[in-house]
Amino acid sequence: MIPIDFEYYRPSTIIKAVQLYQDLTGNQKQTIFYGGGTEIISRARMNEISPNAVIDLKNIPECNVLKKDTETITIGATVSLTQIADSAVFPLLTNVARSIAFRTARNKITIGGNLTGDIIYREALLPFLLTESEAVIAGREGTRQVVISGNGIKLNEGEFIVQLVTNNKFAQYRHINHKTTKQSKVNYPIVSIASILVDDQIRVAFSGVCAYPFRLNQIEEALNDVTNSPGKRIQAAIDLLPAPILHDAQASSEYREFVLKQALQQLLDNFEGVS
Amino acid sequence: MKTESYTVIGKSVPRVDMPDKAFGRTKYTNDVTIPGVLHAKLHTSTRAHAVIKSINLAKAWEVPGVRAILTGDAFPFPVGPMLADRPPLAVNKVRYCGEPIAVVVADNIHQAKKAATLIDVEYEDLPVVNSPAEAMKSNAQLIHENLSNYKVQVKGVYPTPNTNIANLTKIRKGNMQTGWEASDITIESRVSFTPADHAALETRCARVEILSNGRVMVYSSTQGPFYVRKLLSEFFHIDAGMISVQTPLVGGAFGGKGTVQLEFIAYLASRAVGGKMVKIENSREEDLIMSPVHIGLDASVKLGATKDGKLKAAEIKFLFDSGAYSDTGAGISKAAASDCTGPYAIENVHCDSYCVYTNHPYATSFRGFGHPELTFAVEKAMDKLAARLQVDPFELRLLNAIGPGDTTPTQVNLNASNIGDVSSCLTKIRNLIGWNPNKNVQTTRDGKIRTKGISCFWKTSSTPPNATAGAVLTFNTDGSINLNCAAVELGQGTKTVLGQILAEKLKMDTKDIHVTLEVNTQYDPHQWKTVASSTTMIAGRAVLAAAEDAIKQLKNVGSTVLKSSPEDLDIAKGRIFLKDSPEYGVKITDVAVGYKYPNGNTVGGLVVGNGSYNVRHLTPLDPETGFGKPGPQWGVGAQAVEVEYNPKDYTYKIVKAATVLDAGKVINPQAAIGQMRGGMYLGLSWATRESFTFDDKGIVLNPQLRTYDILRASETPEYLVDFVETPLVDGPYGARGMGEYGVIGMAGALANSLSAACAADLNQLPLTPELIWKLVEGKGDVQ
Repeated sequence: MIPIDFEYYRPSTIIKAVQLYQDLTGNQKQTIFYGGGTEIISRARMNEISPNAVIDLKNIPECNVLKKDTETITIGATVSLTQIADSAVFPLLTNVARSIAFRTARNKITIGGNLTGDIIYREALLPFLLTESEAVIAGREGTRQVVISGNGIKLNEGEFIVQLVTNNKFAQYRHINHKTTKQSKVNYPIVSIASILVDDQIRVAFSGVCAYPFRLNQIEEALNDVTNSPGKRIQAAIDLLPAPILHDAQASSEYREFVLKQALQQLLDNFEGVS
Repeated sequence: MKTESYTVIGKSVPRVDMPDKAFGRTKYTNDVTIPGVLHAKLHTSTRAHAVIKSINLAKAWEVPGVRAILTGDAFPFPVGPMLADRPPLAVNKVRYCGEPIAVVVADNIHQAKKAATLIDVEYEDLPVVNSPAEAMKSNAQLIHENLSNYKVQVKGVYPTPNTNIANLTKIRKGNMQTGWEASDITIESRVSFTPADHAALETRCARVEILSNGRVMVYSSTQGPFYVRKLLSEFFHIDAGMISVQTPLVGGAFGGKGTVQLEFIAYLASRAVGGKMVKIENSREEDLIMSPVHIGLDASVKLGATKDGKLKAAEIKFLFDSGAYSDTGAGISKAAASDCTGPYAIENVHCDSYCVYTNHPYATSFRGFGHPELTFAVEKAMDKLAARLQVDPFELRLLNAIGPGDTTPTQVNLNASNIGDVSSCLTKIRNLIGWNPNKNVQTTRDGKIRTKGISCFWKTSSTPPNATAGAVLTFNTDGSINLNCAAVELGQGTKTVLGQILAEKLKMDTKDIHVTLEVNTQYDPHQWKTVASSTTMIAGRAVLAAAEDAIKQLKNVGSTVLKSSPEDLDIAKGRIFLKDSPEYGVKITDVAVGYKYPNGNTVGGLVVGNGSYNVRHLTPLDPETGFGKPGPQWGVGAQAVEVEYNPKDYTYKIVKAATVLDAGKVINPQAAIGQMRGGMYLGLSWATRESFTFDDKGIVLNPQLRTYDILRASETPEYLVDFVETPLVDGPYGARGMGEYGVIGMAGALANSLSAACAADLNQLPLTPELIWKLVEGKGDVQ
């Protein structure tokens, strides 16, 4: 039960959504965009957030697209993880989506919400990081399209993701993903990695290892350096991590490092065992 | 031996509560909407141990709809079931993260919640006691400065002033020196785990209304409606007869609803608004840590045995982590002391069992009442001893199995009735799980290791010496019977089993027995609580007594009608008839509400069957030696777990879980199997993943189901269940209790199985892959 009062809007166009945000914040109302609501509802229940207004994006047609044509895969920001998990348009994303939360929650969680929420894992980001995908972002200045790289998508005040666009050639590459949790399958990741093999080069992105998801070129270079033994390559990759390994109630940093090494070993075995 | 020919006992009669549950029609306490009810919401502590410097209510009062805000000074007196040590709302200081500090009463729940969040509490932190071992140190921070002033509510609770010890139970049996001298080998083992939760599906809820004539109406999801009445009466000085407690079905309890918490607060809240009905309902997060939890333990076990494996001595120390308040923790530590050795015959026993205060959420009963906890400690030690002796763990247990002629740690003489057959349970589990000492560790083709582990358990019920139950039978004009009794249906099937006991006694069809599912203290006869696997015994005996009473009355009237002596009559299938000429008889329908002659004259009145039962001969334990009788009988059993362990990443899968229980007599096979499965599920969930994680300030890091992990249906193993039937002479149809038993040995069996697989001493719970990794790789001291 959410104890606070807030205004709820459900605009039907991008322009109206952008305008609403401007108007509401102009009236000193703390405003957030709303996708599936799983985080907003949970956090408002626990008094962690108390917005004055929410703008639900689910009535915007562009946000509900899920399609694949000759060139691109287009996924609207309010498409649910269940829809993605049940769809074959982007196989790596399908697999990653299936490993997030559980079905009842996935029915609500949207891809846009997972990519931009406060949750530190944002696992759905990994396939987009690996495939030079682009995000279509709407804001006061109109829409812009940016490549998703590094740590993810940076939104400016008043912006929201409309769509994710991926070159559909990536749908054919070999890919794997691997998630380890504390115990149950359904849980936050201790280590979640997603990987594809592009022109015999491994691309890999990580969630759960550090306090944010990431893909790093240097790590991939280290892993692809076949002049080194797998053990050395893995150690080199770990030495290149962009931030300290997480140490929390899910796992100690030492155990996370052990799990990460195992996951990378599995990754190398999988891609190089065949090639 | 007499051949039994029961018609209802031993049959899988469908559970009476099941259709409504399957269709979602069951109404639990919080499923009732009452116009005009006011809502209460708590403000709880964000600190584990701190002085309350000030509480600012100004902003909370500004919220529309707020009727009352209460803080600790509304009732600054401690309450509690065994030792009164807990104010309903914190007074002067808080002792755990999640402790209620204030309650807001408002017209609507969102108003109450909003106001509760606007209460501003200023704290001054105190050093936090984060484990029972820390609490026991000589210079430990005191959690209860006035321990010596607290009132002991139940005889046999011994707090130690100026320490963090809420209770100490000592067992001194035989002579330890003799025991150690007779031992060729000794082993020591230590286990520990932090508190966990019950996590019942139905979160706790209570409504209280004080009527204009002073009658206090309570509606609560409780395992003890009469217990709620008792405690409200004692602590608020209300005549018991002026309190009415009503409980519909309870949606899972596991011991967590056997104590009183929300009812106290709801009563104070109602009193503050002129007696209007006030409802307080836990959110899941509140239910997890604000309300009482599953106790933690730090246990040391030292065993001595001859080289042949015969146990000679046991020295045991339990430090139960009862958290901030003792609640039933003081009873749990006593119960664990009483059965400290597990089901093994040992002549020389020394046990100190402490109930220790820490700054963790406070503990109450959890299914098994100290036994799942002590059994993990003892069964780990037994496997360690078997390894040292290089004997089959199964044979070691069989050799030492306790039985008739032996005495318990509290020196109760065991006979063929008051203890089940441990050896038969062991022998049966061996076959059920396919135990073979030479093949218990198998490597699969893909490099995984399959192992089996066993455990053995016992438990007596630790009821108070006057635990009682009653039953009332009334007859309907169609000859069917209403059975009223205060046993609470919490999913265990008690109402079905009681109906079966009655049907068997009256030789009736169960469809003609109407068991009232809800409990109302105003018209149901008293029952202590529905806990401790005791209901089949105490309520079952009460039902039998009520049936005999009804039979006597029916035969009396029947003898007039049939012109015979009552002794010559029998009753079956709705008729009273002559034993030697069954064709001469009269329908119960025609007698139960008075027999009417053709001319209108009527003899006999309404038949109302009354019966009750009181446990007998129980005594408190001697404070120095523990000598005494803690419970009426010992239920026993054996369990086994088979796992598939992956040595590469330390993960594992539970393949099979098995239980053999000595049930005395299985009254309802399907319900009994369900009980064992449910128990195994609970035990495995606890042993594999359930526990609270604390930071160094005593803050619970996983106070919600996102992070408090529970075993999922897809992760459950294949369950194997079988029974042994050694009759309890005075049990209904020979039946023993069974409610708790399925959970007791699971942690021990799982830990033994996994320890064999990974060749490390897995001495903590939960058994996560990280823990196994840490212990196998020797990453630091985990104690």
